[in-house]
Amino acid sequence: MTEGREILIKRLEAEALQIRRNVWRAVKAGGSGHVGGSCSAADLLAALYFHRLRVRPGEPQWPERDRFVLSKGHANAALGAVLAQAGFIDEALLDRFYDLESPFGMHPDIKMPGVEMCTGGLGHGLAVGVGMALGARIQRMAFHTFVMLGDGELHEGSNWEAAMAAAHYGLAGLTAIVDANKISQSGPVAAIVGIEPLADKWRAFGWSVREIDGHDLGQVVDALDAVPFEPGRPSALIAHTVKGKGVSFAENTYVWHTNAVTEEIYVKALGELGGR
Amino acid sequence: MTAVAASPPDWRARSANQTRLAFGQALLELAAGDPRVVVLSADTQDLLGIRSYIDRHADRFVEVGIAEQNAIGVAAGLATTGLRPYVCCYAPFITARSMEQVRNDVAYANQRVVMGAAASGISLGVAGGTHHALEDLALMRSLPRMTVIVPADVEEAYRATLATRDIDGPVYLRLGGRVDEPSVTPPGAPFRVGRAVELRPGDDVAVIACGALVEMAVRAADALRAEGIAARVLNMHTIKPLDREAVLAAAAETRGIVTAEEHHLTGGLGGAVAELLAVERPTRMRMVGMPDAFAMVGPTGRVRARYGMSAEAIAAACRDLIGASSPAPR
Repeated sequence: MTEGREILIKRLEAEALQIRRNVWRAVKAGGSGHVGGSCSAADLLAALYFHRLRVRPGEPQWPERDRFVLSKGHANAALGAVLAQAGFIDEALLDRFYDLESPFGMHPDIKMPGVEMCTGGLGHGLAVGVGMALGARIQRMAFHTFVMLGDGELHEGSNWEAAMAAAHYGLAGLTAIVDANKISQSGPVAAIVGIEPLADKWRAFGWSVREIDGHDLGQVVDALDAVPFEPGRPSALIAHTVKGKGVSFAENTYVWHTNAVTEEIYVKALGELGGR
Repeated sequence: MTAVAASPPDWRARSANQTRLAFGQALLELAAGDPRVVVLSADTQDLLGIRSYIDRHADRFVEVGIAEQNAIGVAAGLATTGLRPYVCCYAPFITARSMEQVRNDVAYANQRVVMGAAASGISLGVAGGTHHALEDLALMRSLPRMTVIVPADVEEAYRATLATRDIDGPVYLRLGGRVDEPSVTPPGAPFRVGRAVELRPGDDVAVIACGALVEMAVRAADALRAEGIAARVLNMHTIKPLDREAVLAAAAETRGIVTAEEHHLTGGLGGAVAELLAVERPTRMRMVGMPDAFAMVGPTGRVRARYGMSAEAIAAACRDLIGASSPAPR
């Protein structure tokens, strides 16, 4: 029995909202954090972990699991949130963001159940994803590898080395998801160093490309269900998103790429997210 | 379990006295005994002599092209799936250019990736500073979890490559370039990671050497013996983990230590020995290696000699250390 589409979308929307609440919870516990890029990715992560990825939270090292690599590792608050909601980690860990000896720091650490690679230095995840997808092919395993990149992260040239290799090997088992929130640490990506025409770049590198509204869970689900978009090619899903999505004062501003979070700000943010 | 094949008899001939080619030959033996072995090239198929491997194991070979950062990232990704990647690479590029990938994706993420790093030191002497690797040991040695091995000749390069079977973490295996390296280790000698090999006994002075300088150290010791100086020679093929016992014993049983390596005098073998001795047993030392300069262009042997990487310079350092006078010119 498959669940009706309307129910699915409502379920995913509820998870995405909870991811955003948990992001704010974590960064409040840490005193500061990368709210912007965490909240822009929330809907994508909800659809991945509660619809698309074949994973076993109770058996995080299950060899056949789909792989998810958060190359834009600064969105680790969102990854921790979704891993807690999916049951990989204890929810109480969200309150230990940045804590001494916590596996839940600013950037993903492979020590934490469900985390596939230590990321955070940008431009690393796609090459690792290429290796994972090749590992699946060499060992005749069926898992799919998803790598989430920031649009600003695409400034790093190493991404394009990996993109070239993925196309050369026709890695249909690999999907790059670009969380295109248009803003990096110092300002708009287009003003820092322009990356457009982005879809054309991926196509020129041999990838099959789709563009969606990364906050429309119907579109997200359809796109994730459709990978690989073409046989014999890696898939690039460019998800147009809003940095800081869900909280008015954090949206669309580089100020909330990373920022301090006081109790007062936290209460205000949670108010907008329908929390207590 | 698949039985490990006996070493093919023809590997020595195919290695042509170059450690980089011994690595490629040893990969054949490793792959025959372990289906998890996968080999990566960054357009380095001939540099590491892996055409035979590719012929036999095309399904376990990945060419990434001239893209060293990608080579390391892809290798780390392969390792996460349970494979055992061997990256064929140029020492100067895989360390300096890919340092962040080696640090984050391999060492920090604790992935078992083995780098076979050819063209180290000034083994491509004529190629100039862009292609010399005189800081690679310092870079790799500074990474937690990294095992750093510098074979002295083809025999040891072959054995060391096989020995990576039993290393669970990341490995940097430093290899030479397109120059023949004279043999100095006994054929068939066992290779134990982290355990120095004494090639000459002696209690007057100890020479602790690695790589191409081991053979020079042996020649230096033989020359000194004729002058009545007993120089112990230790082949310190593993820079990390360092054989502390062997170093401390040499410090205790001789009048001083000379280190010899084809690397900057900062951060390499000499640095590792000095760090240990400064804390555990302050000892008089001399260090033979590359001074704080970019090496000039030239044939490898002559460039080495110009910067004091020679048997004569090692012998002179030994005499200087123990206050012996130079032999009268013949």
